[in-house]
Amino acid sequence: MDVALDSFKNWQVIKVAGQVDSKTVSDLRDFIDSELKQGHPVALELTEVPFMSSAGLRTLLTLQRKTTDMGVDLALIGVAPEIADTMKVTGFYQFFTIFESLQNLPGAE
Amino acid sequence: MELERIDNIPTDTIDGYRVRPGKPLPFGVSSVPGGLNFSVYTSAGTSCTLVLYSRTEESPLAEIRVPDYYRIGDVYSIVVYDLDYEDLEYGFKIDGPHEPEQGHRFDRTNVLMDPYARVISGRDEWGIEPNWDRSYQYRSRVAFDDFDWEGDSPLEIDDADLVIYELHVRSFTRNENSGVKFKGTYAGIVEKIPYLKALGINAVELMPVFEFDEFENSRMHPDTGEKLYNYWGYSTVAFFAPKAGFAASGKFGMQVDEFKQLVKELHKEGIEVILDVVFNHTAEGNERGPSISFKGLDNKIYYMLTPEGYYFNFSGTGNTLNCNNPVVRNLVLDCLRYWCAEYHIDGFRFDLASILGRDPWGAPLSNPPLLESLAFDPILSSCKLIAEAWDAGGLYQVGTFPAYGRWSEWNGKYRDTARRYLKGDDDQLGEMAQRVQGSPDLYQWNGRSPATSINFITCHDGFTLADLVSFNGKHNEANGENNCDGGDDNLSWNCGAEGWTEDQGIKSLRMKQSMNALTILLTSRGTPMLLMGDEFGRSQHGNNNAYCIDSPVSWVDWSLLESNHLLYDFTKNLVGFRHQHKCLRINRFDDPGSKHFPSCSFHGTNPWQVNWSSESKQLGWLMSCDDDSTSLMDAVYVASNMAHYATWFELPSLPTEYVWKLCFNTGDIQSPFQQSPAPYLESGILVGDRSVLIFTASPRET
Repeated sequence: MDVALDSFKNWQVIKVAGQVDSKTVSDLRDFIDSELKQGHPVALELTEVPFMSSAGLRTLLTLQRKTTDMGVDLALIGVAPEIADTMKVTGFYQFFTIFESLQNLPGAE
Repeated sequence: MELERIDNIPTDTIDGYRVRPGKPLPFGVSSVPGGLNFSVYTSAGTSCTLVLYSRTEESPLAEIRVPDYYRIGDVYSIVVYDLDYEDLEYGFKIDGPHEPEQGHRFDRTNVLMDPYARVISGRDEWGIEPNWDRSYQYRSRVAFDDFDWEGDSPLEIDDADLVIYELHVRSFTRNENSGVKFKGTYAGIVEKIPYLKALGINAVELMPVFEFDEFENSRMHPDTGEKLYNYWGYSTVAFFAPKAGFAASGKFGMQVDEFKQLVKELHKEGIEVILDVVFNHTAEGNERGPSISFKGLDNKIYYMLTPEGYYFNFSGTGNTLNCNNPVVRNLVLDCLRYWCAEYHIDGFRFDLASILGRDPWGAPLSNPPLLESLAFDPILSSCKLIAEAWDAGGLYQVGTFPAYGRWSEWNGKYRDTARRYLKGDDDQLGEMAQRVQGSPDLYQWNGRSPATSINFITCHDGFTLADLVSFNGKHNEANGENNCDGGDDNLSWNCGAEGWTEDQGIKSLRMKQSMNALTILLTSRGTPMLLMGDEFGRSQHGNNNAYCIDSPVSWVDWSLLESNHLLYDFTKNLVGFRHQHKCLRINRFDDPGSKHFPSCSFHGTNPWQVNWSSESKQLGWLMSCDDDSTSLMDAVYVASNMAHYATWFELPSLPTEYVWKLCFNTGDIQSPFQQSPAPYLESGILVGDRSVLIFTASPRET
């Protein structure tokens, strides 16, 4: 799994590529803890993520709590249909705002 | 200030893993900073080895022999550090004597499932043939149990106000025509919540969801070659784990979250969740069955054994869990507390509950400690406890089940009497009158209430409602046992032809009989229970024991919702009617009734006069109470005529400020219910052959 920070308009974008599971999830968590800046909404770009395990989904929820505390919006981008299905049936989906691509972000035309 | 523990450091290294002595409680796995605490009980075992696996590997990562000084009493506990919670699977090897005649069946080479495991892998997707070469079939895993409930808690609906809907998780939405995306799963039920809500039920009772193995005793049908399964799942593998194969996310091991999401979503719509739990036996069978967990941990503690070390079989399935042994009793308590606290479950229905009242040698106890513990448990205090008050060893305790003021019962006598009355048997009026008023003959003498009685006419065992009115005998050939399985005492009547027919007269009589059954059920005091699909005529083609069938025979056929829409609408209106009329839900036998009528009175073709004679087939019941907030009277009068000819009923007189309104009439098969009925001004009414009518008293409009 690779993580990189990017930006799009006023959004800070965390680009993730590869599988997110218990083996990789701490790298993502550490990245989020060290790289997120106050004051800008956060987009988690997941287009290149084919699979997210239970631990991966739990980290999404941790990130959601964190952005709520920071008072900024969080958006998930490009969630694979299989991952979205798992999120729906397990109740994770309802906590997130999800967009197909960065271009669909509000205020990002 | 954050409290930092000074004991949270490894003291030893075993097989490459850093470990330290653990804590004996809680049993099973719990997380501690940096590691996991494992704890397992064995009274006759002589050593314990913790076996660790990676999810994707067949052979173990490590075998950690727990040092003897890590044991306190009969409990081995160990903390292991630096584990990958998500990838980890584990089990135990226990050494000890192999002396079956003494009750001991230890095998130190066999890896055993943790009896407290909260997640099980090995049957992750329904019906995928398992790898039988695997020696450790049901692998214990670690649950997160960190679900975000967002303020949800059990609903605590009054027992008397419940309308229960019994369903099988897979059958409910597996059919291609169910219209849901996640067919046959917990998530599929979520998709059907709007349907359940519209029907008006406020509790679902789920047939077994504790992890079981659909492949237990699976076989080919000798004639058809069809695969037969342990489909219903009345054979528990793991008491603390939800069935993975019922979860759309089971292949990712996320069944715990998916099941909790189901409970949360049902609760949002005011629907309680009751689990059908099977504590009378386990999937380990008798001496020829597999050693999955209990047999190898402490056979003599967990099972009722004959003096020669064979298994007592009060469950009819090979073994009997030794529920009144204090250790086993605690396991049952821990399990139910876990489901109640961690899954927000609202109630439990205990399969063959009478077994739970037997002593370790099988004799019925007058004061069974397990039943008492459950009744007075602090966490379960608002949980519904429902007994199937009989067992396969001949104990039948409907009316005498040790209740401690808490337990209710599946009222098998209600089912039997209602079925006899429906088909017009002689000598039924007296008993029917008892059943309609909540079975005081069974429950008043011992201080219990009408809602003690779970009233039902059909359940998963036996015919569906449509089959009850279409078959005289069972047709279980599809079960591959030459039609020898399943009950023969169906008390059913086919209305003139066995099974499928084109005869319009027979078909409409069947429809009417179905409506009659539902009308009687929903106007009786006690807690009514419906079987999934009965509201639109679900059939199993005469199979009264489809425990092994995973096919459209056992799956709910949702196309019937359209073709039998009238029956569905009728049921929906009837359920709504019950919710509207408090007088049908009075939960006291000594209720004073209303200003004008007793709480429950019986009538014949003439008011206040019942012909109780043997051949009489006409019974009316009038239920009444006052609404304290409006000072209006609530009164419902039900007139039932189970004779094959129409009969004139004089109606009970109302005080002048009220008029009767006819709300339901199964004799009018074109329009059997009225949404806004007009006042009924005649003094009596001709009740059609085999018909039931419901009137309600309405304030006269001036």
